[in-house]
Amino acid sequence: MPERPASARRRPAAPTAQTADSTASSAAAPDSAQYASLDDVSSAQYASLDDPRVMLDRDIGADLFEPIPPFPTTTERESEFYSLRDGEMFLNLGPHHPATHGVLRLVMKLSGEQIVDVDPVLGYLHRGVEKICENSDYYHVIDQVDPLEYLSSLFQEWAAVLPFEKLMDVQVPRRAEYIRVLTGELLRISSHTLFQGFLALDLGGLAPILYSFIERDEIVEMLASLTGARMLFNYYRIGGVNGDLNHEFMSRLGDWMSRALKQTEANATLLNGNEIFARRTRGVGVLDRDTALRYGVTGGNLRASGVPFDVRRAHPYSIYPELEFNIPTREEGDSLARYLIRLDEIRESIRIIDQCLHNMPDGPIMAKLPRLLRPRPGRAWAAVESPRGMLGTYAISDGSDQPFRFRIHDPSLLNLEVASTLLPGNLLADTMAIVSSLDPVMGGIDK
Amino acid sequence: MDRSLKTRLDARLGALLREPVYQRNDETEIRVDPGNVPEVLTILHDAVDLRFEILADLAGVDTGEVMQVVYHLWSPKSSDWLRVIADGLSREDPRAPSATFLWTGAEWLEREAYDMFGIIFEGNRDLRRIFMPADYTSFPLRKDFLLPDDAARSPGAGVRHVERSQAPATVADDPSAGIRRAPVS
Repeated sequence: MPERPASARRRPAAPTAQTADSTASSAAAPDSAQYASLDDVSSAQYASLDDPRVMLDRDIGADLFEPIPPFPTTTERESEFYSLRDGEMFLNLGPHHPATHGVLRLVMKLSGEQIVDVDPVLGYLHRGVEKICENSDYYHVIDQVDPLEYLSSLFQEWAAVLPFEKLMDVQVPRRAEYIRVLTGELLRISSHTLFQGFLALDLGGLAPILYSFIERDEIVEMLASLTGARMLFNYYRIGGVNGDLNHEFMSRLGDWMSRALKQTEANATLLNGNEIFARRTRGVGVLDRDTALRYGVTGGNLRASGVPFDVRRAHPYSIYPELEFNIPTREEGDSLARYLIRLDEIRESIRIIDQCLHNMPDGPIMAKLPRLLRPRPGRAWAAVESPRGMLGTYAISDGSDQPFRFRIHDPSLLNLEVASTLLPGNLLADTMAIVSSLDPVMGGIDK
Repeated sequence: MDRSLKTRLDARLGALLREPVYQRNDETEIRVDPGNVPEVLTILHDAVDLRFEILADLAGVDTGEVMQVVYHLWSPKSSDWLRVIADGLSREDPRAPSATFLWTGAEWLEREAYDMFGIIFEGNRDLRRIFMPADYTSFPLRKDFLLPDDAARSPGAGVRHVERSQAPATVADDPSAGIRRAPVS
C-alpha cells in the first residue's frame, strides 16, 4: 500500500518570526488557551490554499475539503482508487452542490478533463429509517417511510403497506385499489415532469424547470385537496386509503386532464427540438443491456437499455392486470433515451388515469381491521414500480405489533451505483448529464 | 403460487436445500447453507428453466440467534418472487460469500449489509461502510444495538406498553435485555 497521501500533502507549518509571539500571547489570553486545547496547531500558521500570501491560524481547508479520507484505506478497490498515477488529480464534487439531487458527494479522479474513476460517497442523509421502523408499530411505519423519497412519497407508502397486507391476508376494496393507482400515476407524472426540468437545469437550460413546476404544483395541490398535505401525504393505509375522493380533487383533476396531454407535448417540444440538449445527451453515458442487468438497474433506466422490465407487468400488483398500457422501451441506452422514456411513460400514465376515472367502482375504501395490528409470524416481500424503478420491501413479523425487521430496497441506490461505470472516459462537464439522467434521489438512497 | 417452480427447484437444487421449498401467496422460499450460496445462485441464474436474472434485493437479517442474508430474485419463467435465505451465520463472526461474481450491483447492497450488520462478504472488492462514517464501530441494525435515547422506549414510539406485564428491564440491569423480542426463524 502506498504511503498515506493525506499526510504527505499536508502543508508544513510556516516558520515565521510571529510564531514565538503568538505562543506567548496564547499563554496570556484565555481565548487562545481554549483554542489550543481544541486543536494543537494553534501556534502554527498555514498558508491558505487559495492564496499562499494569506497566513491562516489553522489549516482549515486542507482537512475539510481534502478528497482523500483521513484514515488508511481498507479495501482493494479503495486503495486502487486513492493512488494517483502521473498526470492525474482528484476533484471533489459536493456534497453541497446544486446539481447533485440531494447531498451526494462524488470524488473524481481526473486526467486532464477526462474522468478516470469515480468514488461516490453516500450517507449524508442517513436517518436509520429501518431501525426506527422496527421500533414503530405497523401504522407508524407508513409515515416513517414517507419522507424517504420525497418526490414520490406515495410509492413509499404503497411499498410499505403491501407486505403488511400480505402478512395479514387483507383484501383491499376495489375502490381503494383504483384510488391508489389513480393517485400513484398522478405522482409518477409529477416526478417525471420534474426529472425533465432538472435534467435541463443541470445542462444549463433554465426555462424547462419553470414549466415543470407549473405541472407539478397543479398535481401537488390536487393531491393536497385529497390528502391534506403537499409532499408527505400519509394517505395509504394498511387495507385501503385514508379518505374518499372529494369534489375539489375531482374538479381539479378534470380541469388538468383536459389539457394534460397537450401540455405534456408542449413542454416536451421545449427540449426535444433543442439542438444543444440533443448533442449533450445523445450518445453520452451509454448503458448497455448486460451491464444494466448485472448492476440491478431498474425503472426507466433499464427500459432505455432495451429490457422491458416493469414491475406493473412483470409481477403485477393492485389492479394493473386489468388496465391497458404499454411498457415503452428504447435500444440506445444513452442519456437522451433515458429522457425520452420518461416522456413516453407520462403518456402511458395519462392513459391509466383516464381508465381509472372511467371504471372507478363504488364501495368502501378501507378493509375492516383491528385497531392494534398483530400479523401472523412470517415473512413477506412486495415490490412496486416507483418512478425510479423497482421499490421493494421485506417485512418480518414475530407476531407482535411492531415489525421485527423492515427492509426497504430503493431503486436509486443501484441506479446510482452504475454511474461509476458510466462516468469514466467521459468529460467532466458530462458528469451532471449522466448522473442527472439516472434520476437518483438521495433521500431514498441514504434511508 | 407457482407449483411448477417447486418441482423445478427440487430437481435442480435437491441436495443443496436445507429445508423443503416453502410457498405462500406469490413468494417461494428456499433455505441454503451460506457456503452453498455461489453454487445455488449460479444455478438459479443460468439454468434454462429457471433464469432468475434480476436480483431484486439483498438484505441482512438478525434473527436474534443467527444472522441471515436474504436474496430476492425475479425470473421471466415464473410468476413468483424467489426468496433465497442463506441461513445460520454466527452472530459473533458472520461470514457469507459475495454475490458480486453474478451481479456486480450487489457490491453496494453487500456494503450496506456490512455497514448495518457487520456481515463479511468474502469476495467483495469494496467492503467498507456505505452510510455510516468510516470510523464508526457499531452495527446499528443488530438486535443488541439499542437506540441511545429513551425515545425509542416511550409509548409514543410504539413500544408495546399495552402488553408489558413487568417493569421494563434496562441494559444496565441485564445485558440480555438488549435483544428485545423473541427470535424468529
